[in-house]
Amino acid sequence: MGSILIVTEIQNGAIREASFELASVARALSEANGKPVKSLVVGSGVGDLASDFASKGGGDTLVVDDALAANYSVDVQSAAIQAAVAAADADVVLVSNTPTGWDVAPRIAAALDAAFVSDCFKIEAEGDSLQFYRRIFNGKINAHLSSSAPKIVATMQPGAVAAFEGPSEGGTEALAVDLSGVGAKFVEVKAAEATGIDLTKADVIVSGGRGVGAPEKFPEVIQPLADALGGAMGASRPVVDAGWLPHPYQVGSSGQVVSPKLYVACGISGAIQHLVGMKSSNFIIAINKDPDAPIFEVADIGVVADLFEVVPALTAAVLAAKG
Amino acid sequence: MKVMVCLKQVPHQDARLEIRDDSTWIKEDNIKFEINSYDTYALEEALRIKDANEAEVVVVSVGPDRLTQALRTALGMGADRAVHVNDPAAEGSDSLGIAKILAAVAKEESPDLVITGLMADDDNYSAVPPMLSQLIGMPSATGVLKAEAQDGGYRVERELEGGALEVVDLPQPCLIAVQSGLNQVRYASLKGIMQAKKKPIDVKTAADLGLEGQVGASAQKVKVEKVYVPPKGDTAEMVEGSSEEIASTLVAKIKELGLL
Ligand SMILES: Cc1cc2nc3c(=O)[nH]c(=O)nc-3n(C[C@H](O)[C@H](O)[C@H](O)COP(=O)(O)OP(=O)(O)OC[C@H]3O[C@@H](n4cnc5c(N)ncnc54)[C@H](O)[C@@H]3O)c2cc1C
Ligand SMILES: Nc1ncnc2c1ncn2[C@@H]1O[C@H](COP(=O)(O)O)[C@@H](O)[C@H]1O
Repeated sequence: MGSILIVTEIQNGAIREASFELASVARALSEANGKPVKSLVVGSGVGDLASDFASKGGGDTLVVDDALAANYSVDVQSAAIQAAVAAADADVVLVSNTPTGWDVAPRIAAALDAAFVSDCFKIEAEGDSLQFYRRIFNGKINAHLSSSAPKIVATMQPGAVAAFEGPSEGGTEALAVDLSGVGAKFVEVKAAEATGIDLTKADVIVSGGRGVGAPEKFPEVIQPLADALGGAMGASRPVVDAGWLPHPYQVGSSGQVVSPKLYVACGISGAIQHLVGMKSSNFIIAINKDPDAPIFEVADIGVVADLFEVVPALTAAVLAAKG
Repeated sequence: MKVMVCLKQVPHQDARLEIRDDSTWIKEDNIKFEINSYDTYALEEALRIKDANEAEVVVVSVGPDRLTQALRTALGMGADRAVHVNDPAAEGSDSLGIAKILAAVAKEESPDLVITGLMADDDNYSAVPPMLSQLIGMPSATGVLKAEAQDGGYRVERELEGGALEVVDLPQPCLIAVQSGLNQVRYASLKGIMQAKKKPIDVKTAADLGLEGQVGASAQKVKVEKVYVPPKGDTAEMVEGSSEEIASTLVAKIKELGLL
């Protein structure tokens, strides 16, 4: 009858929150299609983590415990997952869409000749099929997909569903996998460089995106509003990629995660990787000329307008209000 | 040294997207297309290798006639030749179908290095590159922000969350899927564009690659039920008026928040 296999991920010595989110998805699918939930934990000295996960949503948990698996490597992870799919007789494999997940999950799909859907915010079972919901065009459009392939690999967007919180029945079982002869070799993880700019401490952040259009517009248009509000300036990734501002200004999944009292997004469309970096801000004002920009979904106040008209007017009004 | 660059053509970032009547994709007739942003970084990285050590750069793309424009741009930037898999029978391929086509091309080309983008700006899948590496048996790394040649391969830095980097050694031949920002992308020069007109674009079908029946809509494992405009949340209060009116409404709000 097959099973639903959760591929867990270890970060800083603990199982990631995202893995417990997979447990929520797997449990709901299991209720609908009757397939048991099983899990996989890969690492070195991870027996306790595995037993803990087995009892907190993971169910019967396979453990690949090997010094060679101490750090992530795509080949080690891939060998372990393929062995676990066979041992668990899995026909649905759930992975988190993290830097580790997006590196390995498509490889598993290709190795199994399986259906693959990435970065879902919702997965549901319907009869023999699975229904997937995900964002396309960087959040401007959503897609609903389905598959009834005999093997399916899917990744979930971290944070899209609540983590599983109940208990579960399940024990652990060691899985022996030959991890030698791997191609990609882990060397080290370099921590993010400390810089002078810590956006996480600012009460107000005024961020500019690709819509700001040119590097000189940041000191001319964005910074003055940030200054008037006594806040800091931030940016979306394309601004940093283009070299308009250095990396410490970047807000988002690969930049800083901020939650100021006020976040003003100017010319930022609202791709999920930006949203995860700022959506927990207390109050969000979005200024964008596209009424369909996804940023308006998380904003408290939205302004559909040219930022070059509204932002200078706002700066002047703020300065006037301060007297 | 041969570098294969996989390049997808996607709707222009500023195109106004409208959903097709059958709700399975967007209307493609009246919009502009461009090279996927991540793939421009992939091509630039390949061209830098060529500039430094005499490599041949082959760009490969799967898609309809309109791709010629993207391939000419890539050739104008400095790629040596292009392979265009153009076949109605390949239309409707899912990620694995595309990866199978690219794998068949890679087997013919036997590159020393394959460079792709991390993600396509249209489907946002991040699926094809690792699939391709699996199918052709190459070690791979995704989200690459730096790649340096070293003895027998490459040392690459993969982007993790929050600005951390993972350093990985890959033996050659290998595949790297690059993250945006790893270099500054050049423009095609006028001279480059003139020269590009003489560079070859090799057009192939799925059958030429021995893939008849294995790719395209009939081989799909994932079906698009529907694409739709995301439902509007109940959150944002939309403010309208002249810039001055908008500014005074916003200032009132900022005062309410106790920030003025
Ligand atoms: C692994 C990964 C990590 C990532 N990490 C991050 C991250 O940390 N941070 C991040 O931001 N992105 C990140 N991204 C990129 C993300 O997917 C988007 O590409 C990016 O956020 C888009 O930035 P943007 O909104 O500025 O640009 P666009 O999406 O191009 O939007 C520009 C907006 O400006 C508007 N506009 C244009 N002109 C004007 C005007 N005159 N007035 C008003 N509005 C105007 C347009 O309507 C449009 O909505 C990441 C992507 C990946 C794959
Ligand atoms: N049709 C295609 N032709 C050539 N390369 C592609 C194609 N589709 C995807 N790719 C490559 O795979 C990367 C990731 O695409 P995706 O998996 O669709 O997000 C892109 O950046 C390209 O380098």
